[in-house]
Amino acid sequence: MQRTILLALLAAVAAAGIYWWLSAPGVAAVGNAPAHVPDLANGEVMFNAGGCASCHAVPNQPDRLRLGGGVAIKSPFGTFYAPNISPDPNDGIGKWTDADFVNAVMHGVSPSGQHYFPAFPYTSYQHARREDVLDLLAYLKTLPAVAGKVRDHDVGFPFNIRRNLGIWKSLFLDDKPFVADGSKSPQWKRGAYLVNSFGHCAECHSPRNALGGMIAGQRFAGGPNPEGEGWVPNITQKRLGEWSAKDLAYFLKTGELPDGDSVGGAMTRVIKNTSQLSDEDLAAMAEYVKALPPVDGPTPPKRKQGS
Amino acid sequence: MKRVLVVGGALLLGMGAVWADRDSIKEVQTLMKGNGKNAGAMSAMVKGEKPYDQATVNSALAQFEDTAKKLPNLFPASAKGVKLDGDYSTSPKVWEDKAGFDTKIASFAKVVGDAKGKIKDIDSLKANMPAIGKECGGCHETYRVKNG
Repeated sequence: MQRTILLALLAAVAAAGIYWWLSAPGVAAVGNAPAHVPDLANGEVMFNAGGCASCHAVPNQPDRLRLGGGVAIKSPFGTFYAPNISPDPNDGIGKWTDADFVNAVMHGVSPSGQHYFPAFPYTSYQHARREDVLDLLAYLKTLPAVAGKVRDHDVGFPFNIRRNLGIWKSLFLDDKPFVADGSKSPQWKRGAYLVNSFGHCAECHSPRNALGGMIAGQRFAGGPNPEGEGWVPNITQKRLGEWSAKDLAYFLKTGELPDGDSVGGAMTRVIKNTSQLSDEDLAAMAEYVKALPPVDGPTPPKRKQGS
Repeated sequence: MKRVLVVGGALLLGMGAVWADRDSIKEVQTLMKGNGKNAGAMSAMVKGEKPYDQATVNSALAQFEDTAKKLPNLFPASAKGVKLDGDYSTSPKVWEDKAGFDTKIASFAKVVGDAKGKIKDIDSLKANMPAIGKECGGCHETYRVKNG
């Protein structure tokens, strides 16, 4: 009997150890990375490609460069509130080092060593180049400081235990640098990079499983809107076959669909960012999206005539 | 007998009201489809796919103006929850935030009014088109829901 208890205890300790090891926040090695001379113009491009303002700009005011945070992001796990990423030294990221920022954006780990929730799309940002991330930080530091901390997330048990996110990351964070297909054109490669890293298009345009992990086989194939009602469309050639690359670029610039319809919902906020990108970058993203092989996604609910 | 007639009449009236609501949402769909066509015709010129044509611009702006006039009356409280076939449905926010919705329509009307008379050639079309598109998207962002 005593022996059984002892074994059970040992097993529990081992399980706890494994949990602790698996859930540990993993960060980039600090040390011999060369000092980076920031390119502010490139930082601004990354800011617009990344759509930072969509979530971090103060809501209900017109200036998308006031990054005091506060936008509520609904999800099946609770509501997240985007934090202050303005250069305010106390409430924002004014005091952050290069390493702090790289760990946050590319590894989803805060300066104090806590996991961030993947409502912050580091699952895509991990594919960015370190230099681009550092240029972004330098650019963010040129923006106006906004005082005020944002309220805590409203997330229920067990999802509110941040340590669990370490396990989530081990399941859904591939932690591989982005490697573009060498046989493709430089324009396609640029598009692939922008779409899959900063652009984080797949985050909304892919279905997710019960744990909130992206279903890799249906990447870009759309799904129910995680923020609430409605549907996020399939953006592979399954659905967008009739769109030319030019249509796609024009859409990202203006929010206008080829049939003259205008985009709505969360994509409106995305267009506010992509409309700031250069025609070359938009053409590159368009070429990449146009080349996405057709993939079947989940089926939208059938609607009946009448209410 | 009288009672039966009264009850029957009331039911018919009620049904009539429901159909009226469906009709108003249907009218919104028809108007919006027309707007899309008109916006598309203007974009085709902006994109350089079609030559500039003043008549197309004029009729597009006239239809936008007509839409802005009609929209405030097409969402009666009883139309809330009415869902028809199509790519989109109306967000309940139209009724929950009526004041905000009305502000958007007024702003759309103003931008269209301002653009009239200003668009005379391809360059002035290119200059004024984004402001109009922004009004469309600005309202659809909150008040329209995509179905699939």
